[in-house]
Amino acid sequence: MPASVLSTLTSTPLFSVGLTLAAFLLGNSLFKRFGKPSWLPAILIAALLLAGTLALLGLPYTTYQQGANWLTILLGPATVALGMPLYQQLPHIRELWRPLAICLPIAATLAACYALWIAWLMGSPTPILASIAAKSVTAPIAMGITEQLGGTIPLLMGSLLITGVATIPFVSLTARLLNIDDERLIGFALGLNGHAIGTVRAFDISPTAGAFASLGMSLTGIFTALLLPLAWRLIGVGS
Amino acid sequence: MPALNGLLWLISFWLLGEVVIHFSGLPVSSGVVGMLLLCATLVVMGRVPTSIAAAAQPLIALLAMLIMPGVVGVFFILDEMAGQWVAIFTALLLGTLLSVITTLWLLKRLIGQANAR
Repeated sequence: MPASVLSTLTSTPLFSVGLTLAAFLLGNSLFKRFGKPSWLPAILIAALLLAGTLALLGLPYTTYQQGANWLTILLGPATVALGMPLYQQLPHIRELWRPLAICLPIAATLAACYALWIAWLMGSPTPILASIAAKSVTAPIAMGITEQLGGTIPLLMGSLLITGVATIPFVSLTARLLNIDDERLIGFALGLNGHAIGTVRAFDISPTAGAFASLGMSLTGIFTALLLPLAWRLIGVGS
Repeated sequence: MPALNGLLWLISFWLLGEVVIHFSGLPVSSGVVGMLLLCATLVVMGRVPTSIAAAAQPLIALLAMLIMPGVVGVFFILDEMAGQWVAIFTALLLGTLLSVITTLWLLKRLIGQANAR
């Protein structure tokens, strides 16, 4: 494509918005065509398509990102919207509130700490630690946390993708080893560790597993969002 | 136009979150504050108004698309992060395996006790 046409098109944010919509729709239909493989989420297919298109067009990521901000701005109200499913899951919380209230703070803290500890032992610098700390938190909330900690959003997104995809086989393997067949526990573990990717997988198992996964996902998100930035500031990692 | 009405509610809760953060200095994002405020409001109301559901449902369905611009960015930092990837991958994979084991083990113990009683 001649450079002049490209610069005309990229002068409007609608070009980035259109590319994102196209990649998202195509990614979803390819995902269905491939038989919904759990190791290749639709969002990864869409992201690969989009990255490939940007590379082919020679469009710098920052130019694309400026236009795509018109979409990203909607993340604010979309995160607020998560309050609705949270309200709808309150009956599940009441049903098992005691074990969940003990398990959640420990498990959500460890989900962040194990990875941070290993990365720190292997000598990763602070900006990387800040970017992977929210690895088990659902993306819209995790982006807010990572901005607070001073991490980079693209690395966070990569961490979310790796964590989410890895959680699925890890949960089924561990459940088999520990002789767990309670769908509520498997669902909760999928949502707590594997955020939205794990939750989608849990809905494939059963609606109950799905409900507990979204519960685990939202509670981990809230817990981490409220405490991680405070803990970070207290320990003084960021300074 | 129930969806538009609901969207105005969601945006208002988000802006309210900004105000709360401005005055409290809490290091959280306004989306999270807005989400908790929305959930608390729904508890008080005892139901989900149709306008809020009409705006919230499609927005939640679009979440994956809204985070895509961020996901794509990871392919453009591959070179920048060269030499760091081994540590990052090990931390994420091993950390996730350990936390999955901890979660399931804890849940089994806690819920097993609750059921036995």
